[in-house]
Amino acid sequence: MLKCKINGVEVEVKEGTTIIEAFKIAGQKIAHYCWHPGLSVAGVCRLCMVEIKGQPRLQIACNTPVQDGMEITNQSEQVKETVRWGLDFHLINHPLDCPICDQAGECGLQDQYMEFGLYTPEMAEPKVKKHKVVDLGSKIVLDTERCILCSRCVRFTAEVTKTYELGIFNRGDRSEIGTFENKPLENNYALNTVDICPVGALTSKDFRFRQRVWYLQERESICTGCSTGCNIKIYFNEEGLFRIRPVYNEKVNGYWMCDEGRNIYKFVNKENRLLKAKKGRKGEWLEMEGGAAAKDVAHHFKSLDKERIALVVTGQFSNEEYEALFQFYKKNVGNDFVYHWINNKESFEDFDGLLLRGDRNPNTKGLLQKLEDYRYEQTWAHLEENLKAGKIETLIVAGPENPLWFPDLKEKVQQWGIQLSHLIWLSSAKVQAVDEVECLTWQIPLKTFFEKDGTYVNYQGLEQKSHRIATIVPGALSLSEAAHLMAGEEYKVDMAPILKGPKKNYYVHRRGYL
Amino acid sequence: MFELSKEGVEFVKKEMQRYETKRSAIIPALYKVQEENGGWVSPECVTYLSQLMDLPEVWINEVLNFYTMFNKEPVGKYHVQVCCNVSCAMNGGRELADHLCKELNIKDGRHSEDGRYTLSRVECLGSCGTAPMMQVNDKYYENLTKESAVQILKELP
Repeated sequence: MLKCKINGVEVEVKEGTTIIEAFKIAGQKIAHYCWHPGLSVAGVCRLCMVEIKGQPRLQIACNTPVQDGMEITNQSEQVKETVRWGLDFHLINHPLDCPICDQAGECGLQDQYMEFGLYTPEMAEPKVKKHKVVDLGSKIVLDTERCILCSRCVRFTAEVTKTYELGIFNRGDRSEIGTFENKPLENNYALNTVDICPVGALTSKDFRFRQRVWYLQERESICTGCSTGCNIKIYFNEEGLFRIRPVYNEKVNGYWMCDEGRNIYKFVNKENRLLKAKKGRKGEWLEMEGGAAAKDVAHHFKSLDKERIALVVTGQFSNEEYEALFQFYKKNVGNDFVYHWINNKESFEDFDGLLLRGDRNPNTKGLLQKLEDYRYEQTWAHLEENLKAGKIETLIVAGPENPLWFPDLKEKVQQWGIQLSHLIWLSSAKVQAVDEVECLTWQIPLKTFFEKDGTYVNYQGLEQKSHRIATIVPGALSLSEAAHLMAGEEYKVDMAPILKGPKKNYYVHRRGYL
Repeated sequence: MFELSKEGVEFVKKEMQRYETKRSAIIPALYKVQEENGGWVSPECVTYLSQLMDLPEVWINEVLNFYTMFNKEPVGKYHVQVCCNVSCAMNGGRELADHLCKELNIKDGRHSEDGRYTLSRVECLGSCGTAPMMQVNDKYYENLTKESAVQILKELP
């Protein structure tokens, strides 16, 4: 361990730690653009200048390892002036189009300028014009004028995805980032480059111009897109969810997440949700509240033949919900006709080498464990046989949160509609096929991961807790709530506060300037 | 589709062996490609070279875009590079370039109308003692005057 003093704060760091890392450990502020903890050191932005006692010249903190007994500061006048000049240089050819730039509000240039800059610009030369609104495929738009050439995105495509799409072309003040022959940047991790871009050069087509970031709240959660369970931050306000970004977790996802995972917010928003419970069949639906529908199921349950009921579960729910559901099933039905619905079976074991897994369920591990605990060992073939033989009349389905990852959904539901006399469909998603079934059906809207507490077990067996953030669909139930109500128990359903965004100008107040 | 000649491929392979990393061989490889592709490097050439050297296209494109010695667009039969750096400029290099444009019918400041000449104003070519000078394809012509330069170019085959 090495001892050093950062702005007067004593810290102990491991051998090989760079000064900028020591600054982070000491909790001291330091300006930087090109350094990113998940990427190699480039040392191109020259903003992280520090003064080391005994050394006449300033050093860059990102590429200088700590030595024992170093006294380092970035509070001296010399450092402050250097950083100010550095910023001035970065802004020489920057277009300053913040009013129409989607990065405004979370821009490195704005932040660092307010923190370390505050100079009067001295450049009188005309700015170099570069390419604007370069289309980089279906996900990303590039503005090379805004780019400060930190090369984070270039290093990302070279080091993390190893797809080598981005590069820096030309030289001097005409340097700009781009892809060879404007090829689209379509790899499944491309949106990480938008996250790490400190300025508005790379913006996401999905998010740009939909919300100003200071109108969004952010909360941490777990991605339910696949069995990796990346840690995420969700950005939302009273109009719904707008985007998802990764949060660092060394054990699970590091600094990154995949682009498919970023889309899961779409299945939480109202447009793709089952908004009301329904009872009936094709063409004759009666709308009601979720709780009322569950109680109606409980009422109806008494008249059903218990030996002709079966339960289908998907790996999309939390441990607590499986527990409640199986308890309900054990007490109220009692047979062992419980089946695990595996979506896209062929690709279940796939892995792209980085994060995305073929198993597109957040909690398959948890489900398998629960099935084992309750000794439910039936195979899917057994269900199909029984259905064909007409031995099953009623099916309770804890269906998918995200129907996109269930390619066999439509086919299965259609088939059940013919073979069954009753279908109890529990799902948060709006599924067209369920609206068209012929048998008597209850559709009960469920909560998504965003609206409930729960534990998910990822592919490594790591348990991660996801917390309730806000309600999107009032009247939706969690699977546990639905199970308790279907059992005929009195149960208090968590119907609490409807989604409320931050006060307008939340970020402005926090920063203390307008 | 562009392909290097057999000797060209051999040359590139040898250059790749010569350096610690094969990325270092991009410059000589690009020179070879430019030579065999009629004086310029097209995007297809970059793709071809990336396959030949097993390097990402962007790496080659970065080098290609960085250096002005590589032409990113087709050049005429004679690529005339007139030095306009200090010594040559003091001895009339810039005026020489202007004069050549007029005499050779180079309207847009780059290509002559018949496609025979392409003119570039370049930085120092390392022949300051004999300023002003120009380079036509691979050959230096030094101690020029306006008249002699035009004569040299017109007399080329």
